Amino acid sequence: MKENHNLNELQEIAKRLRLHVVDMIAPSGQGYVQQGLGAADIFTSLYFAEATMDPANPNWEDRDRIFLTTAHNTAIFYATLAERGFFPVKELATYVNDGSTLEINSSERMGTFVEATCGSLGQGLSVAIGCALSAKRQGRSSRFYVILGDGEMQEGQIWEAAMFAGAKGLDNLCLIVDYNFVQSEGSMDKVMSLEPLMEKMQSFNFDCHEVDGNDIASLLNTFTKVRETKNKPSFIKANTLMGKGVPSLEGLMFHQLRFPEEVARSARAELEAE
Amino acid sequence: MTTLTQLEAADFINRSFKPLPRAYGDALVEAALGDQRIVTLCADLVPPTETDRFRDELPERFHNVGIAEANMIGLAGGMARSGEIPFCHSFCAFITKRVLDQITMQAAYPNLPVKIVGFLPGIATLLGVSHQAIEDIAIMRAVPNMAIFEPSGPEYHAAMVQLALEWDGPAYLRMKRPETTPTAFTPMPLEIGKGVVRREGTDITIISAGLCVHESLNAAELLSQKGIESRVIDMASIKPIDVDLIIESAIKTKAVITAENHSVIGGLGSAVAEVLMDEGIGIPFKRIGIQDQFCEGGTTPYLMRKFGIDADAITRAATAVIQRKKSK
Repeated sequence: MKENHNLNELQEIAKRLRLHVVDMIAPSGQGYVQQGLGAADIFTSLYFAEATMDPANPNWEDRDRIFLTTAHNTAIFYATLAERGFFPVKELATYVNDGSTLEINSSERMGTFVEATCGSLGQGLSVAIGCALSAKRQGRSSRFYVILGDGEMQEGQIWEAAMFAGAKGLDNLCLIVDYNFVQSEGSMDKVMSLEPLMEKMQSFNFDCHEVDGNDIASLLNTFTKVRETKNKPSFIKANTLMGKGVPSLEGLMFHQLRFPEEVARSARAELEAE
Repeated sequence: MTTLTQLEAADFINRSFKPLPRAYGDALVEAALGDQRIVTLCADLVPPTETDRFRDELPERFHNVGIAEANMIGLAGGMARSGEIPFCHSFCAFITKRVLDQITMQAAYPNLPVKIVGFLPGIATLLGVSHQAIEDIAIMRAVPNMAIFEPSGPEYHAAMVQLALEWDGPAYLRMKRPETTPTAFTPMPLEIGKGVVRREGTDITIISAGLCVHESLNAAELLSQKGIESRVIDMASIKPIDVDLIIESAIKTKAVITAENHSVIGGLGSAVAEVLMDEGIGIPFKRIGIQDQFCEGGTTPYLMRKFGIDADAITRAATAVIQRKKSK
């Protein structure tokens, strides 16, 4: 089932998720803080408004499926899953501890809400397409959302998969690229530009949308359009700001942010003051 | 000289195709007719992987994904997660080595019923090094949850489909298209984790798989003429392997050789050696296979002779091992 929240409530949820990200990464002193803060509004919009799912029955066959293929962006992912009710929020405190299932790269050993094990970049889109094909054949109403990293789109398999989805007109598939413009070795344009990305995806027969990935209302409007699109897969270029919501971190382009105690404390205070 | 019209040329060309049996492809269609979960994926090698009948008769369950093997394995992972049983097809070289990461993460780690079906096993192709898979068994054997089955001939192709389906998780089938219509032959039943004794003998055991089984049986005939009686085992289930049969044979014949259309590193020979060492069975032993080298394109009999995996090579190795056994 879908969650039903108004915009204010969704913004409150996004803030709560951001606080979790800070609290989860602070103990280890470094991690994917910036990506987690940047993607919080995408996760909120998807899990708390758009997607139909049932945390009490995570194996429900007609659920919508969300694939996080940048499987290292886990602080925000686990915070979202816990707040959505897939496991207790207190387990977030075990993030990246030895023996915890809350590993840096998410693994399906946590449960089926990790729809595939995607730490090896570029694979999740194909898996989602396989699921989307099966759903079509089985007459299921499920929809398939894939959150891709921008750097991840440099993987060749993404383009094999995009070619397939476009050629088959898979309209139950929605690909969202978290366009934060940073990959491991720096900014996208310095390492390997994807531009013109919209034109590329259009030429692969995707229905394409570009949105502010930190604007929940815009994201929701786009999801509505995507749901109504027929005979084409959809592509959302969601432009996100690294560190969004924490003014002292916004725009700092660190793939792995060092997160000393002072910075973490300030981040928490800035989020709470908002 | 009179020349042909285009129509006449096309007619000659069409009639020049000799339909070969496709026991694997037929068995897959038969299985799929009885099991709605079976789907077939192919990376643009439809007749060479015997999936043309499936394509024509069950089009709603068939996808030619194009020349895009990585995506094919990912799709299969998604389909298997959705309750289907995808059989993925390409050549052995591409469907193992090119997509090993995808296989491990999207089929093996989640332990899904993704069936990896390769054709052109080992050196058996004109197409040369790019299309030869002499290390595929070594690689796939090391992947947790993965089963490996290889038929000794077309008469065992149907059984391959059955074994793949009986294995709950991912399985690799190492197939060979028949080049001629095989002679009538009644196959022995195959089981997961069981070798088949194809010939009895007490002097030496030859453990083999795939194309080398027939070579081993021929070698056993040659050896018999010299008074050496060989037990020949068809180890169609390479993983899981028949540990009990290996031990029993080693104790009985006190000499073992292995013969395979694969590198001597990591394949059937290594698997047998691992069993013998684990059991502390030190007996004269020799692995026949590709000697850690790249090969070349050619006809299969030529290549098997050149690279030392034919009946003569097996006979020579068996003779040498028997000598070691006698001098022990």
